[in-house]
Amino acid sequence: METETVHKGEHFKGLVSAEPDPAKTHFRVCRFIIEAGIKLGMHSVPIATACTIYHRFFQTCTLEVYEPYLVAMSAIYLAGKVEEQHLRTRDIINVCHRYLNSKSDPLELDTHFWDLRDSIVQCELLVLRVLNFQVSFQHPHKFLLHYLISLKNLMNRHAWARTPITVTAWALLRDSYHGTLCLRYPPQHIAVAVLYLALQTYGVDVLGGTESGKRWWQVFSEDITKPTIDNIISELTQLYDMDSKCTLI
Amino acid sequence: MDRDLLRQSVACHGHPLFSLLKSEQCENPDFQCVLGDLSKTVHYRKEKKSGNGVVEQFIARKADLLFAPSWKPDGSLINEDEMAETYAVMPPLEQFMEVASCDRRDIFFRDLERGDVVIGRINSIREFGFFLTLICLKTGLIRDIEDLEITALCPLRDVPSLGTHEDPLSYYHIGDLIQAGVKDIDRYHAKLTVSLQSSSLPPDLSHLKLGVISVDDMPAHYRLSVDVSSSTTETYENVLQNTTGFANPSVVEFLLGKLGLSETEPPSLMRGLQSKNFLEDDYWKSIRKKQSASWALKCVKIGVDHFKSGRHVEAMNEYNKALEIDTCNVEALVARGALYATKGSLSKAIEDFELALENCSTHRNAKKYLCQTLVERGRQLEDEEKLVTAEGLYRKALALDETFQEAEEALRKLQKHIQEAAKEKEKHKTVKTSAKTIFYSIQKKRKRSSSSTSSSTSSSADSSSSSHKKGKKRKRKHSDSSVRDKKHICKADSLEGRSVDGKEELYPLPTNTSASFMNREITDEIKWQEKSVLQMDVFKGKGYSRSMSSSSVEIVEDGRGRSDDSIDSFHSSKVYAFTSKGKTRYSLDGKYPDYKYNPPNPLHDKRREKDKEELSIISKHHSQDLSTNYDLSRNFDKSRSRKYSSSSVGSEYSHTSDRYGNKQRDSYSQDNNSSKSYTGKHNLEDKDNSNQGNKRNSVSGAKLHNEESMLPVDRKKNSTSVPETSSKRSLPSNLLDIFSQIAQFEKEKCIKK
Repeated sequence: METETVHKGEHFKGLVSAEPDPAKTHFRVCRFIIEAGIKLGMHSVPIATACTIYHRFFQTCTLEVYEPYLVAMSAIYLAGKVEEQHLRTRDIINVCHRYLNSKSDPLELDTHFWDLRDSIVQCELLVLRVLNFQVSFQHPHKFLLHYLISLKNLMNRHAWARTPITVTAWALLRDSYHGTLCLRYPPQHIAVAVLYLALQTYGVDVLGGTESGKRWWQVFSEDITKPTIDNIISELTQLYDMDSKCTLI
Repeated sequence: MDRDLLRQSVACHGHPLFSLLKSEQCENPDFQCVLGDLSKTVHYRKEKKSGNGVVEQFIARKADLLFAPSWKPDGSLINEDEMAETYAVMPPLEQFMEVASCDRRDIFFRDLERGDVVIGRINSIREFGFFLTLICLKTGLIRDIEDLEITALCPLRDVPSLGTHEDPLSYYHIGDLIQAGVKDIDRYHAKLTVSLQSSSLPPDLSHLKLGVISVDDMPAHYRLSVDVSSSTTETYENVLQNTTGFANPSVVEFLLGKLGLSETEPPSLMRGLQSKNFLEDDYWKSIRKKQSASWALKCVKIGVDHFKSGRHVEAMNEYNKALEIDTCNVEALVARGALYATKGSLSKAIEDFELALENCSTHRNAKKYLCQTLVERGRQLEDEEKLVTAEGLYRKALALDETFQEAEEALRKLQKHIQEAAKEKEKHKTVKTSAKTIFYSIQKKRKRSSSSTSSSTSSSADSSSSSHKKGKKRKRKHSDSSVRDKKHICKADSLEGRSVDGKEELYPLPTNTSASFMNREITDEIKWQEKSVLQMDVFKGKGYSRSMSSSSVEIVEDGRGRSDDSIDSFHSSKVYAFTSKGKTRYSLDGKYPDYKYNPPNPLHDKRREKDKEELSIISKHHSQDLSTNYDLSRNFDKSRSRKYSSSSVGSEYSHTSDRYGNKQRDSYSQDNNSSKSYTGKHNLEDKDNSNQGNKRNSVSGAKLHNEESMLPVDRKKNSTSVPETSSKRSLPSNLLDIFSQIAQFEKEKCIKK
């Protein structure tokens, strides 16, 4: 019965043409979640939650059975509830419909529309059951922000003001949700890694060289190692490669 | 591209990045500009083991975004007023990093700036100032400096004198905790000068208190760092997770604001997620708006169908639903306005149309309908005699649509009407200037009328004929009138009783009261006159005297009906009247034997007689025509008529005298007429008087019998007329003056006699 209702979401199929690589599909759907989230005025954390819900769902389920865009819409709806930024299904349907059918007129509020809404709500229940109702996550966001504040105090304030470390780290963190990093690494590690990459990007050296004491990232997370950071960074950069691959197609 | 940043990056990553940049950003014109600059940098870089090239690849690919000027660095951070609990205030990071003290000292002196606030303990006091050992920093930096033993001098001139102490330094003791602003930094010799003067602080920190502080005033990060340094196992992570601020659900929002990051246009390094490229139309708000608009339109269409087939309630429901969906839906507003207009709620219709035009100033139907409705409403107002408001509406309609014929016509007509009214007023004024004489003439006439019944009836006929054009009397009333006439008579007696009083009052006219009464009544009268422009001809003929008479009578009436003091005056006047009435009259007559405006009474009477026959017919017309106006004026006069009713007779008046009142309204002269007609019945009244005296107010009482009965008639008429006429009250002030003068004059007269 669950699959039945979920299959109602086939209005959104078609864009997901027979894609051989599920990774690309997931990347696209995550892009869909993030972009729709921005257009819905969602904050970073709810978007992160929506992506995490989506990724967790497809850890156990397959694309053959469930329509990813419908799951994504339900994930957005659910994330709004989880993170206390309530969204209305009507807006979700509108924005998503417009995303998937660009330049189209808004849907009419007819039975078709209500069917869509029903399928989203049904799918939400499905997602909840698949995730065992565990839908609240600890995200790297607040770790990263506190790290940034601490780091800022260690830096020369003019150098800090000149260097867009904060923006870069934040952008990297948000972009990381295109992939499944959030499932495989603890939030502290992801936060450290994006901060590390941001500092590297601008060639900023933080006090505490190799010769004396701990590195800054060791302070932030006791159990993180340089290889972990490198792994995360490399996965992150692969996501950007994926971006160019998916947009080129 | 930010050249400095790029150079910094290239200096760090060396040649691999440079070559990657060259290949990845070859199409970026910005990069070409800085290329030469960068190549120099590459040569000077210190060789360093690079990673696997992932980072360089990333930088090279995203360089256009990463080094774009719009990729904004943090806005300068607001100095933290440590709002505990909003976020996790952490001890200085280096405390967990075991950084060598020399390094810490170096970066402290590198980063410290004037205007930073430090906290230290006094370690020695000299005659030129005192020395502090710094413990921590309050603002600017958060650093672990307690163990660095950094000393700072606070010179004497930077210690504010506290007045009571000759030596400001005597206020300070070794070991005191001092909060001070950094004044001067000698980075080379690592020497610091601090100040206790608030001028050493930047403006945004000027609220900070400098000088001695207590342990409780130490910043939160210092207290935490004390805890951390006392334990060897405490980690950054533990401290962070244990603070309440970290658990704050809105900590992310708060810190984003603090760090200058935007949630509405979030940064991204993905090409497809550059939110500046998103279309406004794709956001939820605009889609929702569009959707609501089309949904509302659907409802309007359904509503219009309902409307066309006459189901107005259903139509209204649909329109309201549409407006609920889309509060400012123009079509719905126009449709609802049209429905209101057809239902006669013109003001509501106008509101809707205006709102519609506000939202869409070019909507043709809204404009058209609004014009029509405005004109319609204007007509309504015109009927209600709100000429100015009506004119405003016509003008509004014309302003909307200059070619709107109807409005133009209506406006022209109205203006003509107003002009005529104004002329009338003018004439009236000139007439009134000789009011004194008129006044006397009236009195004379009245006396006469009391004796001559026939004339009075005729006069009423006159007035009715003159006024029938405009006036509408209630049919019903008229038909009743025959029955009522009898009643009238009976009542008239009772009235007469009073009116006699009133009349008496007339002659001597106690100054104050009379004047005030006059004002009112006369204003009413005159307003009335303005209203009935069409009856000018009548007015010209006999109007003056009549109107005057009526007004005078009314005064009496008013006085009686109203308040205690007026009644008092009444009594006195009555008494006076009894004694002096004859005399006054004489004297008056004698004095003004040839007053201009008094029409020759005999003639007058004759004429009236002629008209007499017409009366019955005309009055019928009259009643019909007037009915609307009458109602209105009645409403206006409610308050007044209530007053009248307080006197027992008053209510009866309103009852019985409708007819008369109506007549009176139409022509000035009516008062006269009616009074005369009553006087005609006068004999009867006199008889009845005795019977009815019981009913009467104490005021009106028995004195009536003695009095001539001509007054009662007037009175009665007055009472009836008052409610109607009073609606129009605006008498030129000069007229009022004249009347009060008359009153005074009369009084003087009486006194003399």
